[in-house]
Amino acid sequence: MGYLGEIFVMAMTAIFIQNFVLARFLGLCPYLGVSKKLDSAIGMGMAVIFVMTLASAITFLINKYLLIPYNIMYLQTIAFILTIASLVQFVEMVIQKNAPALYKSLGVFLPLITTNCAVLGVAILNTTAFRSDSVTPYNFLDSILNGFFSGVGFTVVLVAMAGLRMRMDKADLPKSMKGMPIALIIAGIMALAFYGFMGFQI
Amino acid sequence: MKYYLKLGFILLIFCAIASGVLAYINTLTAPIIAERKAREAIETRSALIPGAEFHEVQASDGSIFYEARDPETQEIMGYTFNASDLGYSSTVQTMVGVDPDFKVIAIRIVDQAETPGLGANCTSPSFTDQYKGLAIEDLYVNKDGGVIVPIAGATITSRCIANSIRKKAIEVRDEINQGGGE
Amino acid sequence: MKFTKELTKGFVKDNPIFVLVLGLCPTLAVTTSVINGLGMGLAATFVLMCSNTIVSMIKNITPPKIRIPIYIVVIASFVTIVDMVMAAYLPALHKSLGLFIPLIVVNCIILGRAEAFASKNNVLMSIADGIGMGLGFTLSLVVIATVREILGAGTWLGMRVTPLSYDPMLIAILAPGAFITLGFLMALINMIKEKK
Repeated sequence: MGYLGEIFVMAMTAIFIQNFVLARFLGLCPYLGVSKKLDSAIGMGMAVIFVMTLASAITFLINKYLLIPYNIMYLQTIAFILTIASLVQFVEMVIQKNAPALYKSLGVFLPLITTNCAVLGVAILNTTAFRSDSVTPYNFLDSILNGFFSGVGFTVVLVAMAGLRMRMDKADLPKSMKGMPIALIIAGIMALAFYGFMGFQI
Repeated sequence: MKYYLKLGFILLIFCAIASGVLAYINTLTAPIIAERKAREAIETRSALIPGAEFHEVQASDGSIFYEARDPETQEIMGYTFNASDLGYSSTVQTMVGVDPDFKVIAIRIVDQAETPGLGANCTSPSFTDQYKGLAIEDLYVNKDGGVIVPIAGATITSRCIANSIRKKAIEVRDEINQGGGE
Repeated sequence: MKFTKELTKGFVKDNPIFVLVLGLCPTLAVTTSVINGLGMGLAATFVLMCSNTIVSMIKNITPPKIRIPIYIVVIASFVTIVDMVMAAYLPALHKSLGLFIPLIVVNCIILGRAEAFASKNNVLMSIADGIGMGLGFTLSLVVIATVREILGAGTWLGMRVTPLSYDPMLIAILAPGAFITLGFLMALINMIKEKK
């Protein structure tokens, strides 16, 4: 299997088979918090894809050229979360200065991303992940791609969820089910649907 | 500018203190973790081939397997080695004991984080006991033409365990045969 | 008096999961068994208590502009300590909680309490708040895990509680079951609240 095949496997795994939200339980707070409107869901999704890709790249370099050579793996959590927090700040500043239009649509979501565990999750998972032959550890490009596809996986379910919840608003529900409870149950049914992808061997 | 330097400096001090504390705690816990891992490995080895004396052997590719000898006669009782492969959501590591003819004596799953209720059942004896007495050629799940019945709902995990053991067993066998056959 | 109030508010009134809906990721991921839920809850309680203490102690020397990064450093340090100590003494639990131990760092409850409570109150109150919120979190995890473990495996804390004729509903300990269980539990709590 060539490298293109490898990329395909990675994309399918990150988006469908091991979806970040529904199978790995990462990034649930924004998944349930920002899925009330379609527009904000798309905005949040784009911001997450962007930050996840960048964070994967930078944390990979930190891990490989700082933490492993100096044998300070126990500082991984601290190093990664500080990197992500400053990265988010930095991105926010750059976008605000150079692309005001983009800032208007993404800006409000950026601070929320620091505490999105999906970003820290993908950074930590990248350090222990293997390619489909289960021998080769991820290299720099693999990590970036995995970050990108994981972000896409997050966005896909977030947008789908927002669409469903907008319709759900019109449904006649018992009062105690409204809001969060029904959103969680929809998420459960969605996770069930995604189980259909489980066991696909590519 | 000076203000920002000051902020950076304060943050730096905090990070330095935190790293210092963590480094200290790491020196306390790291040896315990290493010692526990070593002890567990020894215990598992002796459980797989009871009553044997183990000698470390380094294969030509750098990996390590163990030769089990009878403590009195020095006769080879078998070999133990670690096999690992990517399962459904984690790397599944298995320790395998085989007899001199490379029939499996017993296996033990030493490390896995598969789905609870499905793949995680691979540690249960009802799955691992199936491997007892199997020759290398039989180490396939039944869907692939072998005799191992996979765990319900966790074919991928079961297949990865069977395949990883088979591959590693062939490697170790070739290594021993190449070494001139002791 | 106030001390006990801070200590108990996390159980019902300000329950971090059922009322404030914070920290959902570990809640759903580790509640496959009661022992995992308990382990995660106590680990988070420890981190919450320690980080609240430190944040409250340093509140006068923290420049407001960089308070969040400093809180994060404090929290991350304690999380790493928990991670290392667990790996040394509770290896099995450490393995099954896995990725979610380092992810305590981004648990919104902890940063939330540091920002909303510990940075404004004295050390004693902050400790009480940390313990109270932490135990409230633990309690919620245990409740969810109890439902899931009994339905999905027929056991509680590893002990068999259902008759042998009961065939466990595997779905309850798989991912979809996590969402659905929490959804129904929340609806139940809403219902009780309305009745009052």
